[in-house]
Amino acid sequence: MGKKGYIGLLLLVLCTTWPVFAQVKQNAFTIADDQMVLYLDLKIGRATIDSLLRIADIKGVDIDKLIRGNFDALRKDGWTVTQTANNKLTLLKPLNELASNAQMRPFLITSNMVMHDKQPGYPDDDVKFGINSFLRQNVHELPSGVTRFFLPANLKAKRVLLSGNFNSWSTSKGVMIKTDSGWIYDIKLNAGEYLYKFVVNGRWISDAGNLLKEDDGFDDHNSVYFKYNYTFRLKAFPKAARVMLAGSFNNWNANQIVMMPVHGEWVRQMYLREGNHTYRFLVDGRWTRDPENPNTQTDAAGNINSVLNIGEPVLFKLSGFANAKSVVVSGSFNKWRTDELHLHRSGTQWILPYALPAGNYGYKFIVDGRWMTDPANGNYIEENGENNSFLAVKPTHTFILKGHANARQVRLSGTFNNWNEPGWAMAHQGDTWIISVHLAPGKALYKFIVDGNWIIDPGNKLWEQNQFDTGNSVLWVDR
Amino acid sequence: MLLLLMALCATAMAFKPGDPAKLSFPGSYMMDPDPSGEFTTLVIPIKRVSNLIVLEAKVDTMEGNFVLDTGAPYLVLNQTYFRDYPHYGDQDAGGINGDAGTVFRTGVKSLSIAELHYDRLQADVTNLSAIENSRNIKVLGLLGTKLFSKFAITVDLFQNQLYVHKLDKNGEIPTAEVLYHDPILKMPFSYANNAIIFKASVNDNEMWFSFDTGAETNLIDYRQAKKLLPTLQIINRSKLTGIGGSTFEVIYAKFDKLMIGERVFTNNKVIITSLEQMGKAYGKDIDGMLGCDFFGRAVFTINFVKKEFIMYTNKNE
Repeated sequence: MGKKGYIGLLLLVLCTTWPVFAQVKQNAFTIADDQMVLYLDLKIGRATIDSLLRIADIKGVDIDKLIRGNFDALRKDGWTVTQTANNKLTLLKPLNELASNAQMRPFLITSNMVMHDKQPGYPDDDVKFGINSFLRQNVHELPSGVTRFFLPANLKAKRVLLSGNFNSWSTSKGVMIKTDSGWIYDIKLNAGEYLYKFVVNGRWISDAGNLLKEDDGFDDHNSVYFKYNYTFRLKAFPKAARVMLAGSFNNWNANQIVMMPVHGEWVRQMYLREGNHTYRFLVDGRWTRDPENPNTQTDAAGNINSVLNIGEPVLFKLSGFANAKSVVVSGSFNKWRTDELHLHRSGTQWILPYALPAGNYGYKFIVDGRWMTDPANGNYIEENGENNSFLAVKPTHTFILKGHANARQVRLSGTFNNWNEPGWAMAHQGDTWIISVHLAPGKALYKFIVDGNWIIDPGNKLWEQNQFDTGNSVLWVDR
Repeated sequence: MLLLLMALCATAMAFKPGDPAKLSFPGSYMMDPDPSGEFTTLVIPIKRVSNLIVLEAKVDTMEGNFVLDTGAPYLVLNQTYFRDYPHYGDQDAGGINGDAGTVFRTGVKSLSIAELHYDRLQADVTNLSAIENSRNIKVLGLLGTKLFSKFAITVDLFQNQLYVHKLDKNGEIPTAEVLYHDPILKMPFSYANNAIIFKASVNDNEMWFSFDTGAETNLIDYRQAKKLLPTLQIINRSKLTGIGGSTFEVIYAKFDKLMIGERVFTNNKVIITSLEQMGKAYGKDIDGMLGCDFFGRAVFTINFVKKEFIMYTNKNE
């Protein structure tokens, strides 16, 4: 073997052993001799120690104590600790720890890996506005209020479905009807963002005429359609060359939304998420507020913006208090501001109509400076130790518990309020306890708390076992 | 004849909703499912939920999502929606041929997966809430291997389609119906209690694996992990919560070389934990499970009659 051969051999040895060295160096958590082994150099710095402990899933260990030589927490967690010179630790734990509480099905292990709060294939609820973009418009709003989806051609297909987040991505519902030029499906939709695909003879295809698309997470895309709920109109400036719309919903981007001239006025239809929005028009380079909208707000820079409140109109009302000077409503919907929402006197009541986005809120009235819950509302929510009146805007489910006439209090607790102990107080009406709640689409688990006792819903036969062997009621909320 | 009539009466009675009566002789429900359907190749759209393969199917009157699970022996139903079904036999909690996770055994009148229909099937009822809660999707049950025992299935996760192939008298997919060509892997498998198992090697250590479409990643039993060292690269250790809230431990790791037949797959992810309980369900100790991390790489066909596993590159040439 010549010199080159030796160098080659040396290189080969280096190449094969190098990864092992590299591994030990980078990855101080390993398995050896039936044990989990964690090498820890206490001099490497707190951040590195912390990340190593995290890799080994060692929780609740005070790193300061560790550095000072107190290893009690580690020993309590089942680790054998050996300390060598130079503050180096070797932690050992037998591998057979992995065998305790062995699971029976693989999904019990693997479904734990990634947690999803949202339903798969569903749009982000944070979309603030949307405007459709078609190459060829295959989705139409009919005068009757229904939305018609159209798939052109494919006339030889046996079966075509429309599948989307509006029907839980069903592959059996949404059967399209064949016409002489393609397939149609009519569906009643609320305003919002919708994702869809067609299923032609079992094969998924997106809408070739729709330019709006969203990655479906599996190397393909879903078509996106917005059902509109608002039309911006500007009657002034009919002779302007170009009118743009910008607002809080699009981060005041003045190059995004073009107003279209239609019958002598400027028009733009869109989907606009429920809530409070501010906006202005840019007419031939000059900003103007909406002259037809009396509702305005001055921003920090001194600009006067037009204000829109999109949502379900809620009527706050308080009976009596005829001699009060001021009644204000304050709640989680307006960050508990005390100077914003004034009720006005109407007959024997104080009232205020106000549009709010769908959701669950706490609120109180302030009568001449004195805070009080709504005497006409039997539902309560506890927030930061305060008992507030509970309001659900666009409720999606009403929870009812019959009987328990002698109970002092019945509360609702579940995944939607993080199983919090006070829960939401149900109102006692006749022989039932009741609360209407806005729940996001998907699965909800819940229980009633009757005078401190947690019970599953006797009126719901769907329940699943929980960690206390006491069961949780199961509810699925459709979109 | 009378016996037969009695058996029929008994099964008919057993289907009263909410009837908690236990029947000791489920009779015909124990037979192999005998599906019917007018097709040569059935195309069923797959709903992907994370790494799960979800199909819509209908059990009796209930329609919804089912997970295609080659790790399950036959039809498994979610307890939340089927707890009132009749209990068959006394083999609760892991009977002779059931698996350990079973709560009770029952029978269903019908199962339809697209145009594929089954009459009278036995099913296990178990708690599947873990899938629902982690994936936020309603799951009525699992579709196990025995349902497809007379077919071949092809799973194309690139187009999200499942093909159910009727086979010719030689147990082959008829030539005209073969959709993918030039397989990259073709290997025989055997059954262990209806689960698909074959040998594969991890970093040159030969091990028995089950092929499990219900597993979202690969799994290796901790006892086997020992001999794989030092080639296993540990990523981290983690405590997870199982059904009933008790915790269990797993180790996430990576390994370079998975060899199946003549084919080498690189850069594999694996979870190391105890598979003892699952081994019990198969009636055979298995060393690991190959899940989505493996099968998600290519289109695959399982011929349940010829007991053959085939993989194709994802292009339909």
